[in-house]
Amino acid sequence: MERELIKHGFKQRYTGSEIVFATLDALKEYSVSSNEKSFAKHLLETYEKIIAERPASAGVLNILRVVIESFLKTGLQTIPSLITDLRSSYEKALWAAAEVACKRVSKGDVLMTSSNSLAVRRFFAKLREENIEVEVYVPESRPGLEGLLLAEYLEELGFNVNLIVDSAMRYFMKNVDKVFLGAEAVAANGAVVSKAGSSLMALAAKEARVRVYVIAPLLKFSFESVYGEMIKLPEGGWDLLMDDETRNMLPVNYAARAPLYDVTPPEYIDAIATEYGIFSPQAIPILLKEIYGSYPPTISPLPKLVKQLEEVYHI
Amino acid sequence: MTEQGIPAKVLEIAEGIKTMRIRGAGKIARAVAEALKIAALEYGGVKEVAPFKRYMGKVADLIIATRPTAVSLPNAVMYVLSSLHRANPGTFEDAVNTVVLTAEKFIEESINAVKVISETAARRIRENSIILTHCHSSVAVSAITEAYKLGRVVKVYSTETRPFYQGRITAKQLLENGVPVVQIPDSAVRYVMHEVDHVVIGADTVASNGAVVNKIGTSQVALAAKEARVRVYVVAETYKFSPTTLVGEPVPIEFRDPTEVVPDSWLQKHPRIKVLNPSFDVTPPEYIDAIITEIGVIPPQAAILVLMERLGWALDKIKQGGLTKIKFEDYTE
Repeated sequence: MERELIKHGFKQRYTGSEIVFATLDALKEYSVSSNEKSFAKHLLETYEKIIAERPASAGVLNILRVVIESFLKTGLQTIPSLITDLRSSYEKALWAAAEVACKRVSKGDVLMTSSNSLAVRRFFAKLREENIEVEVYVPESRPGLEGLLLAEYLEELGFNVNLIVDSAMRYFMKNVDKVFLGAEAVAANGAVVSKAGSSLMALAAKEARVRVYVIAPLLKFSFESVYGEMIKLPEGGWDLLMDDETRNMLPVNYAARAPLYDVTPPEYIDAIATEYGIFSPQAIPILLKEIYGSYPPTISPLPKLVKQLEEVYHI
Repeated sequence: MTEQGIPAKVLEIAEGIKTMRIRGAGKIARAVAEALKIAALEYGGVKEVAPFKRYMGKVADLIIATRPTAVSLPNAVMYVLSSLHRANPGTFEDAVNTVVLTAEKFIEESINAVKVISETAARRIRENSIILTHCHSSVAVSAITEAYKLGRVVKVYSTETRPFYQGRITAKQLLENGVPVVQIPDSAVRYVMHEVDHVVIGADTVASNGAVVNKIGTSQVALAAKEARVRVYVVAETYKFSPTTLVGEPVPIEFRDPTEVVPDSWLQKHPRIKVLNPSFDVTPPEYIDAIITEIGVIPPQAAILVLMERLGWALDKIKQGGLTKIKFEDYTE
């Protein structure tokens, strides 16, 4: 079966939250098993890998900032406990944001969601816990077909699941009450970077006057975007859409472009559910000001920290 | 000659349409016209106008019953029979001639339609355009190729079109014609739309209010185009215009087998997941800038004009009883 799905480009990838946890776990392992210099090296490698593969992952970029900053200040000593703290606070934030989002759902609602976001899975787990019965439309979500994984998870939780092709989002939107999306990053203007197709879903929702909610702990906020930095959206080619055998049956000069993420403008989003409560996307800066005491929050740009790291440890 | 006096060749064509050996809107329509022509030429009854008309009505009923949902089929039948009605021939020979000539004219027009539509559509494409198309439509491929030959197309985005990947056929054909194509997943339509100048799509059926029934995903493409102020052109032969929608009959949208979307083994493992696989959707007329037909460019809201022009007399019959209930036999006298 795997093979048959791989023919269609099925690929399990880390979600935005899963990659935060995976990165934290890897860093923790390094932090207890290596000396300062080699840990600094690991940090750099991790940074470069993320920039190359998941440049939009605000979550990972934010934890790297915290870890590098602390490492530069106080060395390796406190890193393991810092990572443990980051991990548990992010885990808590995910559940808290999910719980907030839950309050927006009534028994019997018909929902539509996309991809296989961990925040969205927590949200559904919470709905199950609170015994709120819903029906869910899940698009298969190309490239990657992670929608299949979400459908499997929702089936396990015992919800009524309808799997559809991505093209059928508008067709079924008229049956839907609310849309819930995860996020790879939230930009300074409230725009949300999420799995490719999310912005199309939000557009179809707006047309049908269906409310759109994004579930995103504040770790997903892209601090770089405050200073005008564009969030980079990675794209793949035909290899994200089919296997080699299928490709060989197509013309030699066949070319494909498969974006992994897209940007949903804030005006298509009714609210973002965070661990601090529910906010309109445009109000996120106000929330950040409350938390950090100023807006924009004073943060060290990651490239600057990385450069410092290189200098201090002569890498 | 067979028992009902209907020629064997006509029955053979009817059978071919029924068993889907003859497929595609254009091919079906032309086969129908051909069948009516043969029926007229091989008529073996009393050589008078009235019995001949009755006989043609019977042939028409037989053909229409083969696949009532294929919109081009009744349109071809009505095109030929309404001309017989309008001509009101005085002699038997005139009556036969009318059927033969109209059938031939229909076939010729149908073959020419793609060419005429392509030339017309190509004129609407601006220089240095990027075009997006969905699914596979031979008229759309032809129109885009024509515009490319005029040096107006720099790139085409073609959607994969799940579940069946008809977009790969589009990409292949356009590449064969030398047109640069980039395939995108259906989910990326809005992502690329800001680069696009024109959307060119085919149609399965055009309803009387100008709504276009086409492959699932079309309405989403049109919505994203409207949001980005990109023009949407539908290229469609006039026999795709559905007469029954005029009397309020909705165009039925088929839900196809789940195994087209996911493998059977996956379905077996997940018995509680429902896979919903609609094959078409409806794009409202307000998302379409123009429908380009072989008789010219029309605003979608004027679709009714095409129906009246083409079908005329038969429309009244449809209004009275719907398509499956009309007996052409009763109306050809």
